[in-house]
Amino acid sequence: MRKAYALPAVAITAAAFPLLSMTAALAHEGAHSYQATLGSVNASGVTGTGMVTLDGNTATVMIEATGLLAGSPHAQHLHIGAMGTCPTNDLADDADGDGFVSVTEAATYYGSIGTSLTTSGDTSSESGLAIDRFPTADDGSISYERTFEVSDDVHDAFEAGTAVLVLHGVDEDGSGAYDGDVMSDLDPTLPMEATAPAACGALTVAQMGAAPVGGAETGAGSTAGTENTAAIGVGALAAAGAVAAGAVAYRRRQADQA
Amino acid sequence: MTEHTGRRPSTRTWTLLAVALTVVALVAVVVAVTGQRRAPQPAAAADPGVTSSVPSSVAPSPSAAPSPSPAPTAAPPAAGSPAAAARGPEPVSVSMPAIGVTSDLLRLGLNDDGTVEVPPLGPDDQAGWYEGGPAPGDVGPAVLLGHVDSAADGPGVFFDLGALEPGDVVDVARADGTVAVFTVDRVERHPKDAFPTIEAYGNTPDAQLRLITCGGDFDSSARSYLDNVIVFATLTSTRPV
Repeated sequence: MRKAYALPAVAITAAAFPLLSMTAALAHEGAHSYQATLGSVNASGVTGTGMVTLDGNTATVMIEATGLLAGSPHAQHLHIGAMGTCPTNDLADDADGDGFVSVTEAATYYGSIGTSLTTSGDTSSESGLAIDRFPTADDGSISYERTFEVSDDVHDAFEAGTAVLVLHGVDEDGSGAYDGDVMSDLDPTLPMEATAPAACGALTVAQMGAAPVGGAETGAGSTAGTENTAAIGVGALAAAGAVAAGAVAYRRRQADQA
Repeated sequence: MTEHTGRRPSTRTWTLLAVALTVVALVAVVVAVTGQRRAPQPAAAADPGVTSSVPSSVAPSPSAAPSPSPAPTAAPPAAGSPAAAARGPEPVSVSMPAIGVTSDLLRLGLNDDGTVEVPPLGPDDQAGWYEGGPAPGDVGPAVLLGHVDSAADGPGVFFDLGALEPGDVVDVARADGTVAVFTVDRVERHPKDAFPTIEAYGNTPDAQLRLITCGGDFDSSARSYLDNVIVFATLTSTRPV
């Protein structure tokens, strides 16, 4: 009875192992980097660069951007599922003429939220307006890096060339805060300034096919410590000997003089 | 007091012995101090684009100071408008006359955690090319890596990398028998935990080179340096070997 079960079990295990190692290897070799040059929307003056490295569905996202309204939260997303392009920097795409290229108007180009680039917790589209978990651009700049899992839709959008990086929040009237009479098309309790796109860039295949994560371990330290311990040892012995010999010589001389 | 009449060493002998041992001790200290090697360090990350002064222990370059402007003999297609998408020949070796370094190039990929592989440690360690990125001479940031040192074998192939200065030349010999000549733009030092990925690995409008090694303080418990030294260079010409 036992033997009858044992053989199939061994066969299944043996068959499963190559599969396991193969998927791991494939996922690793599949690492690809994408880069976006962020241009201003709504004449925000915001510029920057985004880089995303996808290894399977694991995404490492890096964003460097400047020219943002300082001290205010800036929602940031990977948008997917449309043309994979960005609206213009002027009001040519302001279809309803309210003075803003709103998210609704811009979505024609870059689509809906695929991933919310939060600083902690959930990264799904559910967190699209989780304003307490987005960077606040304390000095008007954002330096963001986070690694997390993305959905299959988002992964597919990168391969299809329809993934777009978008930063939101623009102080159009220059008041230093999100305010004004025009309310957001996404949440009528928020000013339009808080949600309107400020910067946008389509993610395309980077020159660096797969950008390495972090720094390089190019040193294992010998010159960092104390080298030539042998020479130091010889020196210490010789110094001790010199003191001893000197002491004997001194006592001899005292004795001679006595 | 009859003992010290020739049978035992005289006072003078003891004095000479003391002097001799003092000399030995001094020589040993001098050997230990002058033999202590320290990799040249460029300015820290907070001051990007500025190189530190070169330590006096580094011999001046035998070659004349290279001009930062493109060499007049630059091959026309290489300097400004290389064929953008085409993948160029693979690199074979790297040479930096200013610091007297020449090395064949290994092929490096990524570790399982997504970090970049480094060459194996050894007495004659070599530099390596990260083949997941552009080849030197292609448009984009080509990456070469080498060790600054190892625990067992002392200084590594890129020990003096931090002594490179803007204008120094880096030659990369390639499989098709040509040499891609790069000129150093700047040398920077950044903490590994704040590695400037976009600056170092992001897209570039022309053919660029990144030479990377370790630097900064050594974390003995982690057996790792805290910083990376990164040399940024731009292709200025290509020539036959």
